[in-house]
Amino acid sequence: MDLDIAAGERVALTGTNGSGKTTLLRAVLGLHRQAGGEILVGGRGHRTAAERSWRRRACAWIPQRPAAGRFPLLAEELLASSGAPAQAALAAERLGVGALAGRPLSSLSGGQLQRMHLARAVGCVAAGAGVLLADEPTAALDFAGQEEAAEVLTTLPVTLVVVTHDRAMAARCDRTLEMAAGALREIR
Amino acid sequence: MSALGQVGDLLQLVPVQRAGAGLLLSALGLPIVGVVIVGLDIMPVRFAMMHVALLGIAAGQLLGLDPVLCAMVACALAGAGVAPLARDADGLSGAMGLLMSLAIAAALLLLALSGVNANGAFALLWGSILAVRPADLAVLGALAVALPALFVWRRRDLALLLHDRELALCSGVAVQRLTVLLLVLVAVAVAGAIRLTGALLVDALTLLPALAARRLGRSLVSITLWAVGIGLVVNVAGFLVSLAWDLPPGPVLVLAAGAVALAAHLVPERRTPSWRVPASSSVPSSH
Repeated sequence: MDLDIAAGERVALTGTNGSGKTTLLRAVLGLHRQAGGEILVGGRGHRTAAERSWRRRACAWIPQRPAAGRFPLLAEELLASSGAPAQAALAAERLGVGALAGRPLSSLSGGQLQRMHLARAVGCVAAGAGVLLADEPTAALDFAGQEEAAEVLTTLPVTLVVVTHDRAMAARCDRTLEMAAGALREIR
Repeated sequence: MSALGQVGDLLQLVPVQRAGAGLLLSALGLPIVGVVIVGLDIMPVRFAMMHVALLGIAAGQLLGLDPVLCAMVACALAGAGVAPLARDADGLSGAMGLLMSLAIAAALLLLALSGVNANGAFALLWGSILAVRPADLAVLGALAVALPALFVWRRRDLALLLHDRELALCSGVAVQRLTVLLLVLVAVAVAGAIRLTGALLVDALTLLPALAARRLGRSLVSITLWAVGIGLVVNVAGFLVSLAWDLPPGPVLVLAAGAVALAAHLVPERRTPSWRVPASSSVPSSH
């Protein structure tokens, strides 16, 4: 597939389950070994250690199913991993999960965990990330939470690629792409 | 003679003093190794390292070098060698099984080819606390400094790595380098601990305090502190009991650590406010 996304653009990625949306995001992050082709972020590849390190700083990530984790991690440690703990903590307050910062992630509900990862992403952006890769970031949220998360995501000063089945979220983006069997087509 | 008097008399003996020092030093470092083993989910590591240690001992006897030193070097190399297989959660456990088979096969081949007495090589795996040498104390002392220092220095990175490797990668943690370092430290520590209690009882010093601590702590820091605290109490209490009643120290230590681990698992789950409260109502939203 070929896909160009301009800096600052907001792109919604939709498609059937198993069509490769999550794999695409993970490939951009460098979580899959590159077998062929080329993925550039800000004109840079992902071959050298320096490029990989830069890519991880440049791209914030909200995973589809945040790992339960083999070992407990406190929510405040997750927020601190963004590189900008204070901004991430403020975002957590805004998203209604600030009081849960001292709790292990395993004790949070799916929605609370998703809000915590969203707050971490805000911290990553504050720390200098220019791209946000969000994988179904509102799937575990209630209706009010979906609205709130969509507002936060689409107002961040970043290039946004969001995998979503939420029409309201897609409507807030500049473009909507549909993925099927590993191929992309633009539907809006 | 009273039990207290017997302990006092025995503590005048140099081998007993060395044993006590070895157990105190090991309590500072080895439970942290157990935390890493539990965190990386590499429980078979001790069996793998026991076999690799045997290979090192065989090589040492063949070459006329200190077998225990060779065992530690072999374990360190093996730890670093399996690190690239840690790309996914199952990678390391499978690698440990492979390492175990390859190491025992190579050790037996080496022993057969060299004509070295295999029983002599195996005997070194049945360590004894009372046979601890100054060189063993030096290794345990180095681990007692290096492991807590690493956990203080790289606390954030370790917490992320032991929680989720991919999250750690995406947070800028040097996952590969840190994994190699942890595996080398685990391998050397297990090889060092084998000298204290023997291969079969090494769990008492590493895994059992960590398993109890995993139940009691809520974060990497609290789990590590619990593990070291439990290790200290178990080692001191177990050692004194074994001296007072003239019992073999290894089994007493295992039983003491096992009792603490069992008791920790009987402690009721910590009560936390229900997560079923909607997130937005736990703290008023700013808008």
